[in-house]
Amino acid sequence: MASRILFVTTDQQRFDALGCNGGRVAATPVVDGLAASGVRYERAHPQNVVCMPSRATMLTGQHIRNHGVWMNGVPLPADAPTVAGLLNDAGWRTGLFGKAHFEPFLDPFLRFPQNRMGVTGATNEEGRPHRGFECMEFAGHGSGGLVHYGGWMREHYPEHMASFYPPLDGTLDVNADGGGDTGAPQVLRNSVPRGIYHTDWVADRAIAWLEGLSDDDDWFCWLSFPDPHHPWDPPDSELHRVPWRDLNLPDGYPSDRAEREAALDTKGAHWRRWYDGDLVTNFEAPARWVPATLTADQVREVDAMAHIENELIDEALGRLLFTVSNRGWHDDLHVIFTTDHGEFQGDHGLLFKGPFHVDSLMRLPLVWRPAPSAGVAPSVVADPVGLVDLAPTFCLIAGIEVPDWMDGAPLPVTPEESASRQRPAVLTEWDSVHPGGSEVHLQTVTLDGMVCTRYEAGTCHEGVEGEMWDLADDPLQRTNLWDDPGRRTLRDDLVAELDALLPERPAHPLRTEAPV
Amino acid sequence: MAREHTAVCSTDRDRFYDRYVDVRRELVIAASADEVWSVVAAPERQAEWFPGMVSSVLEETGEGTFRTIQTASGGFIREEVLGVDHGARRFEYRIVGPFRMEHHLGRITVVPDPCGSLVIYEQELEPKALTYVLDGAVADALDGLRDLVVNGRTSRSWIEPMTATGREEGP
Repeated sequence: MASRILFVTTDQQRFDALGCNGGRVAATPVVDGLAASGVRYERAHPQNVVCMPSRATMLTGQHIRNHGVWMNGVPLPADAPTVAGLLNDAGWRTGLFGKAHFEPFLDPFLRFPQNRMGVTGATNEEGRPHRGFECMEFAGHGSGGLVHYGGWMREHYPEHMASFYPPLDGTLDVNADGGGDTGAPQVLRNSVPRGIYHTDWVADRAIAWLEGLSDDDDWFCWLSFPDPHHPWDPPDSELHRVPWRDLNLPDGYPSDRAEREAALDTKGAHWRRWYDGDLVTNFEAPARWVPATLTADQVREVDAMAHIENELIDEALGRLLFTVSNRGWHDDLHVIFTTDHGEFQGDHGLLFKGPFHVDSLMRLPLVWRPAPSAGVAPSVVADPVGLVDLAPTFCLIAGIEVPDWMDGAPLPVTPEESASRQRPAVLTEWDSVHPGGSEVHLQTVTLDGMVCTRYEAGTCHEGVEGEMWDLADDPLQRTNLWDDPGRRTLRDDLVAELDALLPERPAHPLRTEAPV
Repeated sequence: MAREHTAVCSTDRDRFYDRYVDVRRELVIAASADEVWSVVAAPERQAEWFPGMVSSVLEETGEGTFRTIQTASGGFIREEVLGVDHGARRFEYRIVGPFRMEHHLGRITVVPDPCGSLVIYEQELEPKALTYVLDGAVADALDGLRDLVVNGRTSRSWIEPMTATGREEGP
């Protein structure tokens, strides 16, 4: 009997984006249905909260220090082992459609194979699989970029190339321009028709590839939607779905300025310094935008845009699943849905992401709908798991022994199985060294209902500070327990667990080759 | 035998990872400084050794000497040639468009070395968004310069001017 894996990722999506996770705005019936008949994970964490390191972990099953991609702009080495390569070597058909980002985006001299493929329209490296994928068609955040979607738009819809928000400004820094009704950064009214927006294009390309496969092929299809990552510019035609003025402010947004700033001051210095516009740590958030200027209405408008984008993703996924079902593949199809990292979307009075290890960025949606033929009962797993566990899970599904170079372990499918795992703790790391002069290093362990983050010495921290959050008592993460004398033993235990989990830092760290 | 590629970067190498403000790469090439300089001193030839450059076209205007670089990604970079100092074997230029830079200075210096010549490629820039992009490209470029000077191999993206323009050879 053949096996099939549909691996669905979004980009920068919050845990509460989905109805099955308590989301109350976007309608996500397709993913909710997968969760209802599969396994829903309540605490899935990334190993890094920006795209490239997190995606490298998904592809390799390795922690950050082992695959080496410690920040955006650091390319995954060309010879890095990948789960797609394992599957392809075992005879599986392998394809990736949408956002890959295993190599930097900003690449005027076309130094990286994925960008060369995007510009030339090639779907592999001269007939050879790229990183284990025999077919790759890329999309990014908009109509531009060195991706297949950009070429397709230029060829067929040149009149809409300028309809999208330009992610970079004239200095090639992340664009801080505001738009929409509220002037929120990275928001734009986009006149592009829904049918040619990148969400549907990604699904279309995957469907086309699947239709070319034989009925009895084993296949691994990574369906990688670029949304709801900023810029927030869904098609205008869809804005009626979620009128921003009707939205409540999110629970995580302290609308009182004094309360908001007092809460930030209980955290590490980098929180308040970024909020005040005094710190740039990376090229992910616009350097010229000051979070303290964020208004409640801007939070509402950004939220509405993200919810709309999430609905479009759910519908595109539904369309692909319909195709798969029509091919008779439903009973043998495993579907895993997740994202690479989260988004503040107003929590703590902030937008975007950065060196902040809290639920906004770390608690991710993760659903595994096992193949119905596997007979796995629906379940909810509350214990922490990591994206590092995805690649080993794919190996398990494929009947391939999990190789030694993978750090994760197959995902548990029941609470009992979760309780018996050897390593229940999950590791998340952040290292940033910005050419403007800032340097931030965080290491976090999630275990036993606690999230504990140690700050290493850098330009913001002396190396003795940190954060510790009680997830049950303080879900909004407002009370930092790091310096609580009554929790000192617990903190020491968690830091010891962190040290046990952390791989050695590589002797020769990989170089940053682009800002993103 | 020339020393192997010694590309280094950073004014602050002992810091965590690759922290730097400006870009600086070096390479020892097994050819005399005069041989290497003869290539570097011809700005219209840079696309022959800079991977990812398709063409490099010089233009004299009343305001100076400018160069338009076509990149393999389909874009272009406009630069002003600031100086070709044959005595010091130093070539200097700055990026003037299409993106806005508050400050840019590129400098290539060729000095004699016991193993041949040492080529130093430096860039100063503000804002910093292009720092990493230029650093990686410069490392490739020095390898490309060695390949051209030592092995006669042109860069992978370079298009010969006749082919690029489609012009016929004159009588």
